[in-house]
Amino acid sequence: MRELYLGVDVGSVSTNIVLVDEDINVISSQYIRTNGQPLETVKTGLKKLKKEFPVDGKIKGVGTTGSGRQLVGVMIGADVIKNEITAHATATIHFVPNVKTIFEIGGQDSKIIVVDNQMVTDFAMNTVCAAGTGSFLDHQSERLGIPIEEFGDKAMAADRDVRIAGRCTVFAESDMIAKQQFGFSKSEIIKGLCEALVRNYINNLGRGKKLEPPFVFQGGVAANKGIKAAFEKEINHEIIIPEHYNIMGALGSAILARDGNWNSQTETLFRGFEAADLEFVPSTFECEDCPNHCEVVEVRLDKKIVARWGDRCGKWTNSVNTVI
Amino acid sequence: MKVSFPYMGTTVVYKKLLEMLGHEVIMPPKPTQKTINLGVKYSPEFACFPLKVIMGSYFEAIDKGAEVIITSGGHGPCRAGFYERVHRRILEAEGHFVDFIVFDSMFRDRKTFIENVKRLKGKTPLHKVIHALWMVYDMIGKLDKLEMEVQRIRAYEVNRGETTRIWEHIQKMFDKAYTRGALRNAYDKGRKMLAAIELHSVEEENRIRIGIVGEIYVVMEDSINMKMEQLLNSLGAEVERSQYLSQWVTYNMLPKWINWSHEKHILKLSDPYLPIQIGGHAKQSVGQIVDYSRRGFDGVVHLMPFGCLPELVSQSIIPKINEDFGIPVLTISLDEQAGIANNQTRVEAFIDLVKSKHKERLSQGEKNINKSTQHVTTTG
Ligand code: SF4
Ligand code: SF4
Repeated sequence: MRELYLGVDVGSVSTNIVLVDEDINVISSQYIRTNGQPLETVKTGLKKLKKEFPVDGKIKGVGTTGSGRQLVGVMIGADVIKNEITAHATATIHFVPNVKTIFEIGGQDSKIIVVDNQMVTDFAMNTVCAAGTGSFLDHQSERLGIPIEEFGDKAMAADRDVRIAGRCTVFAESDMIAKQQFGFSKSEIIKGLCEALVRNYINNLGRGKKLEPPFVFQGGVAANKGIKAAFEKEINHEIIIPEHYNIMGALGSAILARDGNWNSQTETLFRGFEAADLEFVPSTFECEDCPNHCEVVEVRLDKKIVARWGDRCGKWTNSVNTVI
Repeated sequence: MKVSFPYMGTTVVYKKLLEMLGHEVIMPPKPTQKTINLGVKYSPEFACFPLKVIMGSYFEAIDKGAEVIITSGGHGPCRAGFYERVHRRILEAEGHFVDFIVFDSMFRDRKTFIENVKRLKGKTPLHKVIHALWMVYDMIGKLDKLEMEVQRIRAYEVNRGETTRIWEHIQKMFDKAYTRGALRNAYDKGRKMLAAIELHSVEEENRIRIGIVGEIYVVMEDSINMKMEQLLNSLGAEVERSQYLSQWVTYNMLPKWINWSHEKHILKLSDPYLPIQIGGHAKQSVGQIVDYSRRGFDGVVHLMPFGCLPELVSQSIIPKINEDFGIPVLTISLDEQAGIANNQTRVEAFIDLVKSKHKERLSQGEKNINKSTQHVTTTG
């Protein structure tokens, strides 16, 4: 029998589900667009995963992370529910033990995590400004009519440098149009955009931080060679892109599940693949019992409430008996 | 007079004082999203977040019948000095003509201070006034003591929410106490109730302690700071706040010669980093971070209203303090658009960081405390 761990990273744009063995070798990994429906997305993922599940495998622990970590954690029965920063750092430290600086750029958010001696000592996170995230590039690729997948190669083919104001998406756009009119090629513009994104990202998140090598770059945007080159130019140092750059959050939560399980020999809370067939119905209400007016989330399974959170006082959370 | 005041922290004390001076107190409701929306709607867009929330509070209090508003005046150079005037103008523009009584430190403008006291005192005989002041001063001290206990034990409560419920009950008991005997009873009973709360036992060396610093309104009023104290407690950390009402009173109201206060000490600690007063609570914030470092706290959460200039300055000083002391600091800026979920993630990650640092400190011994921790910023 092989002991396996499941890690789920539920972001607002995409959801990753990974299955790993005890030594964190990836056995299966699913990438699905979340489309605002975390529960449905994870169900689809579980069904796919079931088909690839080794016959001699047994799930020993489950971890969730990402903005939907709590909801999905309840649904699949997670042993560990952790924030994205800790989850990402955990994975990076596992694969690159001497890492000191982690650059993570996803579709909707981005972060810098500073690590010392395998321990997170500092971090910054950007969730509001699009100019430092992948959606900035998506946007520009649409404008230029060049698929995002080709961005990297195009950027590498540029002959000249062009500086594009990247403080903000709106400025970048008008500046880009201007530069096109000056006669810069699309390749050059794309290279300029990559550099603008990196400059922006470092200015925003790296302020006041000691950024030291080894540098690791991960998240969906790490697939883009142009951005990697821009990073290396900006910080004047080589950058490591881990093999699983795209699923680090999910891997991190799988590792956390494994390490949580290491000491206590407790049974996993995993509901099994049958969870994909269960009907979970989330809803929210505003509690008016005191001036806090908490927005309480509740999840029902077969009309029975299986989880509640969001209350400040604990009265709703505590009123749920943990079931199955 | 039907009086009201901005809602901030433990409001029973203001209520009590005003009642004992013979006023009818209109309690402003605790700020909710509705209050914030109301405030945002009527305030200038670039006004500080506290101004907006207080604005909303005033509208709600006036709705309930308030005729006079009592507030403490901040003093420049930042915008706090203009609060009352801005508020008054906006209210007037909306057709509400209420009176304001603005209290400032009695040392700054003694004449106005005494006039204000006279207005509030009304026909209450002097001995009653003295009695009331003494009562309330006593009450503040007692409440602060109990609250500090709450902020400590809530981290270990077995039944989530129990401590907060009891704390609310205790405040109600104090609300009903009008004699010194009743006050003492409430205090003793409160202490017993807190002592009876069932706690997880956690070894002394495994306890995590976090200090909260920042601009006074967002620090004191939990309805607009994501219930930061409760949040940190629920993640297993003991909490101490940089400001307690009793300290404020001691610093601003007691005559200089008997005025020994924590705040003086704090201001001194900030001198090497920020030698002058730049308004708001920047100097205090800086001094308090130093103070928490020296007292061996594991981390500090620094709260600032979005766009608050003094706290922006203190934020920029934090990396320097960090170099000297190595204490992790998380800055969170709050405004009407603050994304609770993202800040929650930051706080959780911060506590993870603090905990692993704490563990490391234990295993390495106090001698070589790791000084590499930097200032954690939040963008967006
Ligand atoms: S859930 Fe609790 S804290 Fe929130 S509004 Fe209801 S009673 Fe108040
Ligand atoms: S301290 Fe900050 S929030 Fe308060 S008035 Fe001054 S600038 Fe505004």
